[in-house]
Amino acid sequence: MQTYLDKLPSFVDAIKSIKATIIANIVFIGQVPAPTFKEKKRTSVFMDRLAESGVDECSTDGYRNPIAIIRGTSETKPPIFVVAHLDTPFDAETDHNFTIKENSIKGPGILDNSVGAGVLASLPEIFRKLNLCFKSDIVLAGVIQSMGNGNLRGIRHLLKTWATPIRGAVCIEGGDLGRINYYSYGMIRGEIDCDIPAAKEWEHQFKPNAILILNEVINQILRLSLPQRPRSRIVIGKISGGFKHGTIAYNAKLGFEIQSDSDKMVRAIHNDIKDIVDGIGHESGVALNIKTISNLRASKLEYNHPLVKSAMAIMEKLNIQPASDPSESELSIFLSNNIPAITLGITNGKNYHLENAEMEIEPMFKGIAQLIGVIMAIDSGICDE
Amino acid sequence: MNNNWLKKNTFHHSEFKDINRLVKEKTRKNLTIALCLPTLNEEKTIAKEIIIIKSELMTRYPLVDEIVVIDSGSTDNTRKIAREYGAEVYKANDILPDLEAFKGKGENLWKALYITNSDIIVYLDADIKNIHHRFVYALVGPLILFDNIKFSKAFYDRPIAIGKSKIRPTGGGRVTELVIRPLLSLFFPELTQIMQPLSGEYAGYREVFEKIPFPIGYGVETSMILDIYEKWGLDVIAQVDLDRRVHRNQDTKALGRMAFVILKTFFNRIEKLGIVNLNTEIFDEMIQYNLVRNEYKPDIFKIQGVERPPIIEISEYRKKFNLT
Repeated sequence: MQTYLDKLPSFVDAIKSIKATIIANIVFIGQVPAPTFKEKKRTSVFMDRLAESGVDECSTDGYRNPIAIIRGTSETKPPIFVVAHLDTPFDAETDHNFTIKENSIKGPGILDNSVGAGVLASLPEIFRKLNLCFKSDIVLAGVIQSMGNGNLRGIRHLLKTWATPIRGAVCIEGGDLGRINYYSYGMIRGEIDCDIPAAKEWEHQFKPNAILILNEVINQILRLSLPQRPRSRIVIGKISGGFKHGTIAYNAKLGFEIQSDSDKMVRAIHNDIKDIVDGIGHESGVALNIKTISNLRASKLEYNHPLVKSAMAIMEKLNIQPASDPSESELSIFLSNNIPAITLGITNGKNYHLENAEMEIEPMFKGIAQLIGVIMAIDSGICDE
Repeated sequence: MNNNWLKKNTFHHSEFKDINRLVKEKTRKNLTIALCLPTLNEEKTIAKEIIIIKSELMTRYPLVDEIVVIDSGSTDNTRKIAREYGAEVYKANDILPDLEAFKGKGENLWKALYITNSDIIVYLDADIKNIHHRFVYALVGPLILFDNIKFSKAFYDRPIAIGKSKIRPTGGGRVTELVIRPLLSLFFPELTQIMQPLSGEYAGYREVFEKIPFPIGYGVETSMILDIYEKWGLDVIAQVDLDRRVHRNQDTKALGRMAFVILKTFFNRIEKLGIVNLNTEIFDEMIQYNLVRNEYKPDIFKIQGVERPPIIEISEYRKKFNLT
C-alpha cells in the first residue's frame, strides 16, 4: 500500500497538467441538459468522449447506461467499477452553458454531477498520463435515472444484469472534497397528494383546502415519536400546491423521506404515516393518497473495512479532511449487493443544487488523485476476501 | 439570380467532423492554423473558448498551431484569464506601436495578421457561450479540403440568452435582416446567398486577408465580404452551418450604432466601386436620443470610418514575412 500512497502527491501535478482535457469533458457533458428520464443526449456525448479517449470497449447496457471498459492485465481478477450518475434536476429549458472563470466553473448541475461525469470520462486520459495500468478491468459507468423519481433505476439495472462478480466500486460525486460515504440508511421516499374535485358541491359545508389538509398531515407526522435507536428521522423535503393567492387550494403535494438505520423501523414509520393519511382522507372526504417513489435497504461497510481504511489513509496522505455521512445513492445499491463500495467527493463549491452552482477548479486535482489512489488500492487486493 | 453557389459552397459542420482527416490533409499540404480571439471585457466567456479549442484541437488533434488573444484594453480580467488558460495575449496598442493606435474589433483582427505566423487564420468572437470545437474545425474544413476555397464564413441558428438562465429559441441577427440583407439585395443580389454576412466567425488564408483593407470597427465583416467578392469572386467563399450559437443579447441602441457603421462601410464601398455617386457629405456621428427628466437629450457617437490598408502594404509586415 505504501508504494502507491507515496506516489499520490506527485499525481496531483501530473493530473493538473491535463487540466484543459478534464475541464473540456466536464463542460461538454455538463452543458447537455439531462433531466431524469431524459438523459439520452448527455449519454451520447458521454459515450463520444469516452470513445475518443481510446477505451477498449464502449457501449450501452440494456437499460442505456453508457459503459466503457479499460481492459486489465489479469484474466481472473473481477472488474472494478467507477460510476457517476448523469441525470440532473434541471429541465431542458434551463441555460446549461457554463461559465469558466479563473478558478471556478459555474452553471446548473456542475457539482451534481457534471464534475463527476466529466472526471469519469477523463479517467482513460488520466491513467495514460500517470502511466497506470491495472490488473482488473476498469468499468466506467455513467448511470441514468438516478435522482428523485428515477429511484436509482440505472445502477439497479446495471448490477442486476452484470453477470460476473465485482471486485469493488467507487461512486463519484462533484462535492465536497473530503466526502466519504460508506453506509446508507434504510429509506423510503414518498409523496402525499391531496386533490379536491373542483366540480363537487361544497355549499352545505366548508370547502376543504388542500394545503391545510397537508398541513394537518404534517402536524400529525411531527407528533410521531421516533426512537433514538435505531436512529430514525422523517424529512419533509418538498411541498407544492395551490393556484393563486385568493383561491382555496384544490391540490397540494408533499414530498418526504423516512431514513433509519433499520429497515424494519423505516417500514413501521411508513405504516404510521399511511395511517395518518388514511385517517385524514376519511375525515375530510377528499382524495388523499400516499405513494412510494423510492426505497432503499440500510447497508454499510464497517469503519474498519479495508476499503474505508485505505480511503482514509489516502485522504490523509493528500491532506484531505474526511467527512462521512450516510448516502442514499448508487452506493446503496452496490452495498446491498454485497459489493464493497464508497462514494467520494471531488472538489469544493457552493450553491450545490442551484442554477448558479459553482465548483472550484484547484481542489479538483487532489480529488482526482484520491480517486486514483482508491482504484489502485482496490486493484492491489484490499477488497478481496 | 443564379443560386448555384448556395448549393455548391454551403456546408454543414458535420461534413468536417472527421478531424483526423483534416489533420492529415493539413500536414500533407504543410499548412499551419492560427486562432485569433479579439476581446474587450470578455472575462465570462474567454476561458471556455481557449480551453475547449486547446483541449480538442491542439492536445487531442494537432489541428490548431496558435491561439492568440488580441485585446482592445479590457478593464476586467480578460487578459489575465486568457493567459492563465494558455493563450498568447497581446494588447492591440502594443502591436505595431509606431502606427497610430485605433480601438476596435477590426483593428484587432488586422493586427493579428502581424502577430500570428500561420497560413490560415480563424477569427472567432470571444462572447460565444456555447463554444464547441466545431466552430474552428468546420470553418477550416473547406479551406483544407477544397483547393478553390480561400475564405469560409459561419452561419447558424441564433438563439439569444435572455434573463437569468433562459434561452429564447429565435431572435438575433436583426442587423443582418434589417440592414445588410436589404442592401445586398439592392446592390449585390448574388451575395444574399450568404446566410449571415455579419457573423463574427470566419476563417481564411493569409494570402487573402493580407491583401484587403480592414475597417477598425464593426464594418469589418461587411467590407471583408465585399472586398473578397470583388477581388476573387464568390467561388472562393464557402459558408458553414454551425447549428447554433448562443451569445449575449444587445439592446436596440447598440444594434443601431452597429447598423450605422455597417451602412457607412457599405456606402463607402459602393461609391468606391462606382456603383453609386452619393454626391453629398456623409456624416460620422450617430445621434440617438434619451428622455432625461422630461427632456430629450442626444447621445452622440462619433464613429470615424477609419480603415487599415491591406497589411501587405505595411513595411514591418513585409519585413517579418520576408516579402520583397
